[in-house]
Amino acid sequence: MEKCGIYLGCNIPFKAPDIEQSFNKVFPKLGVELVDLEGATCCPAWGTAPSFDIDTWLAISGRNINIAEEKDVDIMTGCNSCFGVMSEAKHMIDHDAAKRKKLNENLALIDRKFKGNSDVFHVSHVLYDRIGLEKIKESLKYTLKELKIAVQPGCHILWPTEVMEVKEKNSFFPTILKELCEVLEADVPHYSALNACCGMGAMRSTDQARSFGLFKTKLVNMKEEIDPDMIVTTCSSCYLQFDGAQKNLRESGEIDFEIPVFYYTQLLALCMGFDPKNVAAISATPRDQIIQKIQSEARLIKQEA
Amino acid sequence: MAAINLSKMNQEEVIQAVIDHGGAGITKCIQCNACASVCPVAKAGFPLFGRLLFRKLQTGHYEEIIEDASSWACQACNRCTEICPRDAKPFEIVFAFRRMQAGELAISTSAFTPLMSLHATGHAVYSETSQELREQVGLPPVPVTSIADEKAQKEIQTLLDNGPMGELGIF
Repeated sequence: MEKCGIYLGCNIPFKAPDIEQSFNKVFPKLGVELVDLEGATCCPAWGTAPSFDIDTWLAISGRNINIAEEKDVDIMTGCNSCFGVMSEAKHMIDHDAAKRKKLNENLALIDRKFKGNSDVFHVSHVLYDRIGLEKIKESLKYTLKELKIAVQPGCHILWPTEVMEVKEKNSFFPTILKELCEVLEADVPHYSALNACCGMGAMRSTDQARSFGLFKTKLVNMKEEIDPDMIVTTCSSCYLQFDGAQKNLRESGEIDFEIPVFYYTQLLALCMGFDPKNVAAISATPRDQIIQKIQSEARLIKQEA
Repeated sequence: MAAINLSKMNQEEVIQAVIDHGGAGITKCIQCNACASVCPVAKAGFPLFGRLLFRKLQTGHYEEIIEDASSWACQACNRCTEICPRDAKPFEIVFAFRRMQAGELAISTSAFTPLMSLHATGHAVYSETSQELREQVGLPPVPVTSIADEKAQKEIQTLLDNGPMGELGIF
């Protein structure tokens, strides 16, 4: 069985642990053993060390990557921000000898040494590139036929392409998440704001009103152009914004509709037949109805004898 | 972290400070503003982004923009870096400016809580109510990260305290 170091970050284990559980369920079923990265810290988030000092950023990211190196595994992260922060750090360490020297001086303070033999992957890259659509298709119990999905890949998985191990053919028209949803037999139409930012992260903590303005533009574009049954993302920050800020907009009367939101592996786990009490139990925007619909008798995929 | 003497900064010194803080592309920018055409900070209506920010820095007008919070809304999405025709890596210039602001403690107040949390627990985001949520979905109340690992917390504190961030006296 292939092994992969599971890097949790902050938002997934502390705000959306049902996403963490969905990793625990889907990856072993697809033949990937998840290896814990004990003592891993924040990536560190863009608003912390990367906003102050590059060498401190590289030291903290380098330490996280080193935990995976010591277990002889690559890193897989489910949060786009963590993926962006650590991919950029790894790229700098790999291409700048002076930065790498400084990194190892810093890591020596805590008895560690960066070796450079673990790569950084995103959950969707492992699913798409290392596991593959065919294997996902074989694992399914329920079909999403005639259900419509709006996909939200998020920013940090798309740019800058220079630093990534797995790349989209065209990062401004991403297709990886679309294909991952299509293999569940859902309809995944294009909408014009596909690659727009959801406004989460630094922008939301700096100015919530402007962040929500950006978010509303995108959400309304999805609704007006394709009227989806659900929104599916592979970014935990986008997940929190689409699920949580959507509720804020409803409560303030700015929108009058409701679209359930899933992190991709939550939806995949449901299609595999896992219990929603474990894999899709925490949300601000209700998902009960769509979950019931997904895991219904009529959607059972007939197994060939 | 080396303090920047605002009163004495001239154009060359500002450009050099941007370069020293990771924004070497500042000298490549030709003011085409392609970066702003794809920038979420611009789309959301913040006042200082793209060529305006870079021109202020190129011409040494640092003092008048040091308190502007627009740079702290940068999502680090790197759309700008992907499309910049001069390979100036605009994102890196924005973050270099942020680091110069941070060196003067011209920091968005929203940045402090995650910083303190990172130093104390290794996680920029943490909430005690997470223990209940985790148990609700069948997970142990705490993950195997630094949150329950004293040695890991000591390591992260060593890395933070021994760098320029430690010198700022924020922890």
